[in-house]
Amino acid sequence: MSSTAQTQTAPAEAERQVRRLSLSRGVNELGLLAAIILLYIVLGAKAGGFLTSGNQLGILRDAAQIGIAAWGMTLVIIAGDIDISIGPAVAFGSVMVAKGATSWGLGVPLAVVVTLLIGTAIGAFAGFLRARFNVPSFIATLGVYSALRGLAQFISNALPVPLPNSGFFDFLAGSIAGVPTPAVVMILLLVVFLVIALKTPYGRAVYALGGNPRAAELAGIPVKRIRISLFAVNGLLAAITGVLLAARLGSGNGGSAMGLEFDVIAAVVIGGTALAGGSGSILATALGVIFITLIGNGLVLLGVNQFLQDVVRGVIIVLAVLVNVLLGRRNRLTS
Amino acid sequence: MAPINDRPEARGAGSERGSGPVARTRGAVRRYPGVLALDHVDFEVRPGEVRALLGKNGAGKSTLIRLLSGVEKADEGTVEIAGTVLTGGGSREASQLGVATVYQELSLIPQLSVAENYHLGALPTGRGGLVRTAHMKDAADAALAELGVRVDPGMPVGALPVAEQQMVEIARALRGSPKLLILDEPTSSLAAAAVDVVLQAVTRIAASGVAIIYVSHRLNEIRQIADSASVMRDGRLVETVGTKGASSDDIVSLMLGDAASATEAPARHTSAPATDRPVVLSVRDLAVPPKVRAATFDLHEGEILGIAGVLGAGRSELLRSIAGLQPPASGTLTVFGEELRRWSVRDMIRRGVGFTPEERKTDGIVPLLGVDENIVLADRRSVRRGPLLSGRRQRAAAAKLVSALSVRTPDVGVPIGALSGGNQQKAVIARWLHRGSRVLLLDEPTRGVDVQAKAQIYDLVRELADDGVSIVFVSNELEELPLVCSRVVVLRDGAIAAELTGADITESAIFAATLADGTGSAAASTTGESM
Repeated sequence: MSSTAQTQTAPAEAERQVRRLSLSRGVNELGLLAAIILLYIVLGAKAGGFLTSGNQLGILRDAAQIGIAAWGMTLVIIAGDIDISIGPAVAFGSVMVAKGATSWGLGVPLAVVVTLLIGTAIGAFAGFLRARFNVPSFIATLGVYSALRGLAQFISNALPVPLPNSGFFDFLAGSIAGVPTPAVVMILLLVVFLVIALKTPYGRAVYALGGNPRAAELAGIPVKRIRISLFAVNGLLAAITGVLLAARLGSGNGGSAMGLEFDVIAAVVIGGTALAGGSGSILATALGVIFITLIGNGLVLLGVNQFLQDVVRGVIIVLAVLVNVLLGRRNRLTS
Repeated sequence: MAPINDRPEARGAGSERGSGPVARTRGAVRRYPGVLALDHVDFEVRPGEVRALLGKNGAGKSTLIRLLSGVEKADEGTVEIAGTVLTGGGSREASQLGVATVYQELSLIPQLSVAENYHLGALPTGRGGLVRTAHMKDAADAALAELGVRVDPGMPVGALPVAEQQMVEIARALRGSPKLLILDEPTSSLAAAAVDVVLQAVTRIAASGVAIIYVSHRLNEIRQIADSASVMRDGRLVETVGTKGASSDDIVSLMLGDAASATEAPARHTSAPATDRPVVLSVRDLAVPPKVRAATFDLHEGEILGIAGVLGAGRSELLRSIAGLQPPASGTLTVFGEELRRWSVRDMIRRGVGFTPEERKTDGIVPLLGVDENIVLADRRSVRRGPLLSGRRQRAAAAKLVSALSVRTPDVGVPIGALSGGNQQKAVIARWLHRGSRVLLLDEPTRGVDVQAKAQIYDLVRELADDGVSIVFVSNELEELPLVCSRVVVLRDGAIAAELTGADITESAIFAATLADGTGSAAASTTGESM
């Protein structure tokens, strides 16, 4: 066919838009990387003990608490949903595994397996409410949030449930080749989720249904099943985090992981994943996790008042997202 | 050029008043870039008169309406409302002079009550600025009762049947006691049975002395309520005829003009009729309430079957039901010899039936994903290596289709949202080719794409049919059906009312068949029941 001016401009325009899109993504991740480096420089100079290997390993251990759940959360948010039940789900998992291994007499291996299965099932239930009945995921997981926190406190009588002596829990609380075990778990899962998100039909279907659920449905993608599975996976990840937390503290605690969902969602959003769904990156979430953890660590080392720490974190998170939104808007305006 | 009102059949109420026309245009011209949308139109309508406005898409009806309702200003000539020339003060000026317009799309807020919708923008308030709820309800109730509608004014509008929602809209337009009421296809979204409510109301309103301009494609409706019909074509008002005197054929030929038969391009589809080939898809008495009662037709291998019908005839509903999006109330579907009573989208995809939706942006594409991912979306099995997707295979599969369908994209990895509409459409079709679909259901595949892309899509559809793919082609643009289809069935009053094949597929024949009200249309071989 003849190539008129009209048809030639279309690809050129497309090309420009593509460059802009990939540029904005790059800017976001580079910006986050720059912010992390800046934090290292400032904290290294100002906060005593920040650069010690002990503190750095501690940062990795803290990052694992946020990061493991953040990988699943990224997929949930890419799919256009949200899961706010992470904190209680982690606390519930820690109580379950402690109770199972002690007073319920399941033994350590079975207690761990049962905890992971129940965590998965509870997540799947929230996902089922979302997928089958269109209950907004915020509400479905808000219900789970309240129920699990209450259940964890009820089962444990609001007291720490000590773990039995077990080589397995010692291993989870310890380290592998110097790296804290939770951090190793987090990194392994990061690789798994990177592959899922970028390389599997399942992961790409998540992007498709987040970007346009109707088109995905019409293309024969099992939208409901995928939604349920996303929440189930999130439940599983929260349970894993709960077991790791119990091993670290030496007990299951119904009041633990308060506000963890805040850090997890903040890490995902700082990483540039849009709450509207359809786009986002696990790798950027990883940067978000490091960013959030560094700030928490730095504020402690700088001796900032514990309550003021929350204020600072709140401000920084909103600022980070604001920058993202403004970047996105600039791109849309110029296109 | 336009004999105007040579038979002013104003009704009783109007002639009693003996007043002049409510609205009049003289030599009205309106240009859009590259188009003369309105070409020296002289038009007038008198109090109490119901005037139908007819014409194909793009004939100038909407432009004339926009001038009369003050939304746009004439480039030349004048527009008068109640004897006052509009000075370009926008729709506010026209409405102050007494023009009210009800557009095709409802502009109600479904969650709000009937009464609130009726008063929208001017809620009656009492002391302290509070809304007078009881008064508001009574007024809405009274206004609707006057139109012959009884509904609970406290009910949310969204809970009403569409016909009654339409009545709320009309009642709201009458709130300011207009002198001229313009109704733009008020029945296009209604099932045939619900139309009467609207028609009776229109008759009542006219009896009270309001002039009405009524745009519709349904000739039998127009006969029922309009005194005369102004026919537009290519921006000109061709003629105003009495609806009692003129036959449907007369009106249709006025709308199409001489040009229609001259330009009817024989450049078409495969010469061989495919009806002797095996049937791949067979639809029997499919009912999709409220619009489709019982549709019956067959699709043969390698055939391009067009489905025509006026706006609101239920073409898309029928197609979406076949695609598995909307379960039918009754009827069966036979796909490659297998009879189905219930089926889902995935059932149809598995059986090799692909559907490209009318709303490409909201239903068809995932804008942020690459062209390649959009193309392989319905079948990722073939682009995997082990359990993982192979980016290389995905790109290769997409690249093959991109070049076969000449999708214009700088790279197959480009987010599909960045492409033009025509290229997006080709990519959506490519999705089903990648899936190996042998039947394609195309709902308005050329909507919103430029002229050149349209021609490319026609070529593509013909080539696919030559390769043995069977295609159902639904289009609102009648002129494109003769270009691509080897057979056309016409959906009217909820059933297949006519079938055209081969050389009989002309724009005028299809047009006549979509409008026909039983008075017969010579051109269309009307078969009450096809096959």
